Amino acid sequence: METFTYTHFPAQSSVVHIALFTSVGNAKDIRARIVKASTLGGPEGDAERGAVNFAFIDARLVTSRLHLQTAVYQAILSEAQGSLRTKTVHSEILWALNPSNNISEAIRRYGVSDSSSALLVVRIGSPDLKDVESLMRAIVDGTLSPLADLAALTDWSTVKKYYKLNGEPAIKEVAQDPEREREIVDNIIVSSVAMKSVQA
Amino acid sequence: MALALTLIAQGAEAKVYRARLHADRAAQDVLLKHRFHKQYRHASLDASLTRSRVAGEARALIKCLRSGVSVPGIRMVDAPNGLLAIEWIQGSSVRFLLGSSDEPLDEPVDGDLPVSDQPQEHQHPLEPYGVSQDALMVLIGVEIAKMHLADVIHGDLTTSNMMLRLPSSSPSTSRLVLIDFGLAYTSSLVEDKAVDLYVLERAFASTHPDSEPLFTSVLNAYQTRMGKQWHAVARRLDEVRLRGRKRSMVG
Repeated sequence: METFTYTHFPAQSSVVHIALFTSVGNAKDIRARIVKASTLGGPEGDAERGAVNFAFIDARLVTSRLHLQTAVYQAILSEAQGSLRTKTVHSEILWALNPSNNISEAIRRYGVSDSSSALLVVRIGSPDLKDVESLMRAIVDGTLSPLADLAALTDWSTVKKYYKLNGEPAIKEVAQDPEREREIVDNIIVSSVAMKSVQA
Repeated sequence: MALALTLIAQGAEAKVYRARLHADRAAQDVLLKHRFHKQYRHASLDASLTRSRVAGEARALIKCLRSGVSVPGIRMVDAPNGLLAIEWIQGSSVRFLLGSSDEPLDEPVDGDLPVSDQPQEHQHPLEPYGVSQDALMVLIGVEIAKMHLADVIHGDLTTSNMMLRLPSSSPSTSRLVLIDFGLAYTSSLVEDKAVDLYVLERAFASTHPDSEPLFTSVLNAYQTRMGKQWHAVARRLDEVRLRGRKRSMVG
């Protein structure tokens, strides 16, 4: 797990914890828990919502650590400015990752699905929140891996499809050079996430 | 607003900083453009103008990126606060590399430039880039043509708004980078493309002595890349040269 601090954001959302879990065995249960937590009432519901208070992101659709950091940054920015489009700063990350404005599509595509085997887990919180890693381990049954492993997990063809990049001149130009193509796709996607709040 | 801010330049419209967005050892610097509050404008007008200009610049950049035009990637947009962060380009402006007529060769933009570690007194500024002056003109013409083929009009083409990347940073990436899309807009009109070129021609003439052959090389490369669209633009460029940038005498 890696932790980043953003001193210029309000304290309650100034610290970002990011962990990559591979060989995840309980994606189905995680998804069921999140769905259930959202409908549960009373103190029990609050506790369960606290336990799953993370963003669970399908790692196959994230092209680089900068891609994820950019989405996290824009989500915190929206929260700080009172302009969240979704209910929480964590679901806002999923919204930021998806090219369209459709929230349920964003969650379906970028969130945890029953078949997810690699998950990026993100928690945005205050500096007082301690031992986030064990909170994550309590929910995810998988292998905690270095973020650098992300590179090997990316599903480039789905990423290109979601962002409708296949017909673009920038991609056609480098069809012969897969490494260069990935750099360009990553740059376009990071840029798209960064400018999503003002996209045409 | 971001970490490790260093002011690089200030104009009438914005201040430009070198900054770091993420407290991450692996993070790269970004260029942060802050369109500050203008005291002389009504607050609500200022807010909406600032917002729409940041948005416009970001939209022009993403359009260029998708069309394969070499421009900086976008890293963060905070339109309500007038902030736009883009990829940091390691290199120099073309204006500096061609040696402008009125300024000494001490571009203060970038401390990492190899300028300071040159013992020999008059090394040509282009030398570390391994590109001849004429090859540089070809790169410029091609990049502008790609931009115009995507129907993006830059609006302020000058040699200061083009940069050459240093070869060490990411060798395969396109070397010439168009920057500052603050006045850019989308248009498919031949008129707008011709005026864009005319503005650059005037910029060459006023900043670089004896630049006619240079601009001719730019146009030749532009012509090749534009293909069959070239003739209409060429014809219109001749007209624009006769009458100037403004089509009507109003405004």
